[in-house]
Amino acid sequence: MSNSLENDIAALLPRLRRFARSITFHREDADDVVQIAVERALTRSAQWEPGTRLDSWMFRIVKNAWIDEVRARVRRDQLFAPEEEGEHVGDDRAEAQQQRMAIEQALRRLSEEHRMVIGLVLVDGMPYKEAAEVLEIPMGTLTSRLARAREALQALLSDRTRNKE
Amino acid sequence: MSFSDETLMAYADGELEPALAARVEEAMRADPRVEEAVRRHRALRGDVFAAFAGVLDEPVPARLQPVAAPATATEPASKPVSAPVADAGTATVHSLEARRAARQAQAARPAPARPRWGALAASLAVGVLAGALGWQAFDNAGQAPFGRRGGAMVAQGELADALSHRLAAEPAQADAVRLGVSFRDRDGAYCRSFMLGTTGGFACRQGGEWRIPVMAQAEQAQAGAYRQAGSALPAAVLDAIDQRIAGGTLDAPAERAARDRGWPGGK
Repeated sequence: MSNSLENDIAALLPRLRRFARSITFHREDADDVVQIAVERALTRSAQWEPGTRLDSWMFRIVKNAWIDEVRARVRRDQLFAPEEEGEHVGDDRAEAQQQRMAIEQALRRLSEEHRMVIGLVLVDGMPYKEAAEVLEIPMGTLTSRLARAREALQALLSDRTRNKE
Repeated sequence: MSFSDETLMAYADGELEPALAARVEEAMRADPRVEEAVRRHRALRGDVFAAFAGVLDEPVPARLQPVAAPATATEPASKPVSAPVADAGTATVHSLEARRAARQAQAARPAPARPRWGALAASLAVGVLAGALGWQAFDNAGQAPFGRRGGAMVAQGELADALSHRLAAEPAQADAVRLGVSFRDRDGAYCRSFMLGTTGGFACRQGGEWRIPVMAQAEQAQAGAYRQAGSALPAAVLDAIDQRIAGGTLDAPAERAARDRGWPGGK
């Protein structure tokens, strides 16, 4: 195993964590999924072809690690709804903070497919073509799925705005 | 000229080829509705991006760093991370439990740097939180749900009753107690997580009492639009459970069996 692959994976960790945070329901889950993905990647490093995009490959492993964990998570969460971000309890929340929480909450209400596509294109900023590769779907499917996901997200956020008024 | 919403979205994302992008720009100049549609796509993209941008600045936990040997002491390399067995859900439970166990094994694990819940040692928390929450009101019998025995905080009243007798799968009762997971700690004692109003914690059965090592206050959900208030176990409590749990959480039959035997074990 080459050290350079490990270094390259290490360099991707912040992005992988950010993506995982957008598709999971708990912070700890996000890091668990990334950890599982890193271990899987190292175990299967022979499957990665040098010269192809390491990030697409790693994001795909993260996505699959999460999908494999979903049922277990749902079971674990039957008793407690998804964790809130609670680190600012008691603070005066800035508007940006409220906005961030609203978006996280809205994302959790999206379907798995919609969260994935939002996580790749809007959160990570991945081009459509690469996002389609990660999700292993055609470009046309990616585009229409992304449009529907945005619509759903926008609707949830608009509901919130209305409820506040 | 009219463009589909997908095309306007792709324009906002910088995904259109130059010729088509130029036509969209033309349409934006001609039609404020087109311009508004593009603006909304950009705004949503910007908001979502900003919501997660901070993660990049967080220190990456050491446990995520790739290491030459992927196997850890608690998970031999021979064990597949995701075994293709009949019940994939069960397999992944093991995988996650193994992850937790590995996390525990990292004795030198640095404290998480991210901002987090105010975790309060339960022995210090009782006065503060009890006052803040008016816990007495939760107990119809007039007994506070928490008391002290020596230096330890213990459950009493309805909370102790629920911990001793109620199964997690049972429907919610009229009181404010909701039970979560049950597990054995590293001393062999049975422990159960609970929510009481907006306070989450867990209690371990020791010496015939439910001792509470940690509690933290959960946040009230905003505006109630998306979820019920206080239904989530605070992260500080989850962390504390991670530190103490031996093996996995009990499934429903195991929990029932432990209850029926009176939660034996512990020191």
